Amino acid sequence: MKVLIVDDEPLARERLRRCCEEDLTGYQVVAEANDGASAIAEAQRHAPDVVLLDVRMPGMDGIEAARHLAELDPAPAVIFTTAYDDYALAAFAVHAVGYLLKPVRREKLEEALNAAAKPNRVLLATLRGEDGKVRARSHISARMRGNLVLVKIEEVLYFQADQKYITVRHPGGEVLIEEALKDLEEEFGERFVRIHRNALVALAGIVALERGALGRTVIRMKGISETLEVSRRHLPGLRATLRQL
Amino acid sequence: MQPSSRSSVPAASNRPVGRQPAGRVTDAVARWWREQALAPSADFLPDFCDVQLVFLVVLGAELMALVLALAQAPRSELWQTLGLLSLFVQWVALTCAAVLCKMRRFLAKRSLVVAALLSYLLILAMTTFFSVLAVRAGLGLDHLTVYQPQWVVARNLAIAGIIGAVSLRYFYLQQQYRRRLRLEAEARVQALQARIHPHFLFNSMNTIASLTRSNPRLAETVVENLSELFRASLALAGSKVSLAEEFDLCQRYLDIEQLRLGGRLKASVQLDPALHDMPLPLLLIQPLVENAVYHGVQPLPEGGWVKLQASVVGEHAEIVVSNPLPNLPSRSGHGVALANIRERLAVMYPAGASLTTQIENNEFIARVTLPRQWTATGFPWAASAATQTANQPGVQTVVQPEAQPKERPE
Repeated sequence: MKVLIVDDEPLARERLRRCCEEDLTGYQVVAEANDGASAIAEAQRHAPDVVLLDVRMPGMDGIEAARHLAELDPAPAVIFTTAYDDYALAAFAVHAVGYLLKPVRREKLEEALNAAAKPNRVLLATLRGEDGKVRARSHISARMRGNLVLVKIEEVLYFQADQKYITVRHPGGEVLIEEALKDLEEEFGERFVRIHRNALVALAGIVALERGALGRTVIRMKGISETLEVSRRHLPGLRATLRQL
Repeated sequence: MQPSSRSSVPAASNRPVGRQPAGRVTDAVARWWREQALAPSADFLPDFCDVQLVFLVVLGAELMALVLALAQAPRSELWQTLGLLSLFVQWVALTCAAVLCKMRRFLAKRSLVVAALLSYLLILAMTTFFSVLAVRAGLGLDHLTVYQPQWVVARNLAIAGIIGAVSLRYFYLQQQYRRRLRLEAEARVQALQARIHPHFLFNSMNTIASLTRSNPRLAETVVENLSELFRASLALAGSKVSLAEEFDLCQRYLDIEQLRLGGRLKASVQLDPALHDMPLPLLLIQPLVENAVYHGVQPLPEGGWVKLQASVVGEHAEIVVSNPLPNLPSRSGHGVALANIRERLAVMYPAGASLTTQIENNEFIARVTLPRQWTATGFPWAASAATQTANQPGVQTVVQPEAQPKERPE
């Protein structure tokens, strides 16, 4: 069984590796990662069966990493490890998902590895950060030609809904995701503003409002040539928001 | 959104309140008898040597004399009666006060019941003595009334018995009130005392578990450091340490965190030698350092630094803890440690000490200004138990200009 160990503390990784390789048989640690983003990269490279995932990490934390890992095909099973996290622990217990308390006991580790299962979407949506709030993701993940691509939320210029997909535009190009624009607006409401029934725009990326053809107002974004149309219904709200910046 | 995810709160007890069966009342009385009635009376009686209290005694006695005079004298004899009664009542009251003043130490060591009983008997004895004396001297207390001399004594005894019992009850209630105030103040300071965070504890345990196999000697060091921090956090609130000792604790904390964060934490500790022996409350600074690591270093993937510095500024010492400010939505709980330290400063430094924070050039700076003199007065329960950590032989205070973990794993 291939195992990926993810923890920001080198000593914690070292101990888990020893436990897996020296104390238990039949497990092979294929890689280690020190944060969520590199965990996803390693998971794509090595296709592990199980990921031992620390909940608390700088950058992308374990809970968000698990959401992205669930998009992989095949998705690895995830076992969360944590030293002490009130909210996360309660959620894990409710959903009967594999989690281990650090320092991890060997028997518990073996038990969890044997029973490792994939966390489901319902669980992932309800997991909370350490302060008990559901945190906004730091990355958007999209599948592209079989690979998982991560786009930092700060780099996203706009989300535009199409019939079935949402186009995520960033300076390096665009990716497609399958989510609801309403959910994205709820999650990233601080960063993005609704300008049209089908579009959310990053406040930080707005360069100018311009008068386009047929008297319509369009929005110009940083670093890209195309413009986005502002609907008449959203224009007053948008102007008010921009004035406050 | 998921109320069930917080379900670990224990259900409130459903026991009916308010109805106390007879057995429980007896129990309560028995407990009161065991725990309070037989305990040393200590400050049950106020200090009758105190001038202010003597004045109150005189005032109380005079009021009593007035009541008695109003009650019994016909209008024409009111002033004469009042004069005589005042003389008598003041005699009794002031003699009792004088004897209680002399007996104060003796009574403080007796149990509450014995002290109360002795005081009560004293009041009765003095009343009898002066009543007999007054009758013998023909002071005229007897012709004021229709009573016979022996009835005068008996009447005075009855009045003194009632007034004495009421006063003692009043002293007892006052003592209970003071005691509750003191317990509340103690509880407040204890609650503010810095504690080891569960996160830190379990992470350190994990570090030790990992090192036991790869580097047993380093594991030993971590256990030692962790023990020091634990000992300090278990010490009584308001314990006194020197600044060098407090910095030593901060250093031990930083050593543990440096191992855990593996190179992501850089720390520097600087202490002006002139401040080595400056006294301050134990674990006043360490929570600030912990805050800096928790909020300033841990959330940064590339790590960060923590700077701890103490220097002399005029009559005061200035202790500065700074860390880089991560460009992230701030985690909750940031203000808790700061508010706690502020409250401790307010309680422990009535003369004035401050904690200010500022953000400058993307740095978070916490600045504590303390007077260089501090006595743990006002915390009598802590004075004798001054931190065991501090006085332990073998604890050396090392203040390194550049903090380095003593050893590193490979």
